[in-house]
Amino acid sequence: MALPVWRQLRTELKPQGLEIVTVALDLEVDAARSWIERSGAEHPQLVDTAHKLDELLGVVNVPSALWVDENGIIVRPPHTAAVERYDFSKLKAPEGLPDDLDAHIRDMLEQVKRIPRFDADHYVEALRDWVVHGAASEYALSPDEVVRRSAPRPPAVAGAAAEFELGQFLHHAGHVDDARAHFRAAHRLQPDNWTYKRNAWELVSPGIQGPTAFYDGDWLSDIKAAGPEHYYARPDF
Amino acid sequence: MILDRLEVTPEELERQTGWELKPEGLCKDDRCVPFPDGSGTDGLVDVTVVAERLGMPLVHDDRHGLWALGPEAGDRVLTSAQLPPIVLADVDGRPFDLASLRGEKVLIAAWASW
Repeated sequence: MALPVWRQLRTELKPQGLEIVTVALDLEVDAARSWIERSGAEHPQLVDTAHKLDELLGVVNVPSALWVDENGIIVRPPHTAAVERYDFSKLKAPEGLPDDLDAHIRDMLEQVKRIPRFDADHYVEALRDWVVHGAASEYALSPDEVVRRSAPRPPAVAGAAAEFELGQFLHHAGHVDDARAHFRAAHRLQPDNWTYKRNAWELVSPGIQGPTAFYDGDWLSDIKAAGPEHYYARPDF
Repeated sequence: MILDRLEVTPEELERQTGWELKPEGLCKDDRCVPFPDGSGTDGLVDVTVVAERLGMPLVHDDRHGLWALGPEAGDRVLTSAQLPPIVLADVDGRPFDLASLRGEKVLIAAWASW
């Protein structure tokens, strides 16, 4: 969880004119609450219970970030924002699990180890450069380039946003069962949107997002099908 | 936007989608799309015509009698580099308008508990 890193960066860069806003893409506020309350952050910490950032900005996975200048102009559209330094090589399944769950989790961990990790230090250096140099920074893109690098929105992606909106509306209105048909439709229309999938799977299979009768996919099956090397778009800095 | 009928006031359409009904059609930023007169009743706008003209998906839930009008399909999610209007709540439900941060550089970081 990157919240402590965002907090540190905000402490460092706020005096130079950078504000950080963290947004939890969580259908359930209470799922994000303890992380937020424990973070100790002084910057705005918001919860996007409708995944509006997907529809409006093209976010498809977390962690993602975008940079916005003093005039409200985006200078970096949503990109993979890996600011943590992980060592997944020693990840191990917990001891004492039932055999079938143990095998499932071992398989998940093998996939996790194959998800590419990006250069966190370089990303933070690029951020510092933009904070100091603004539009003159090589990392600040022109408006045309921002539009060009933003996510594609063919009819299926637009349709997924509409289905997810209807699903989250029903979910929050208490029609949790009826919401799932729309979440399923969103998954089918935009299979590379991991926030639509994982948030829905988490609600029916907390922790492992495993196969259920409710959804066609699950974390392990879908990441194998997509290829773990494609799980995150490589940030272009 | 969520709808329980297929007609909306022009004001509501603009508030929810940013598309404004003008004499020359439906307009947003510097784009205008022709919109036929009289497509709704009593000054309301027919959402099915909006969806068709703007390339927006209109999806339905039979059981609850609801529709969702999605974003316009096209080449890219962003049609300009201007940050669109976004208001989100904190854990206590207090709304926060991202536009209130004008004057500072902002990094918006999406994460999730899951």
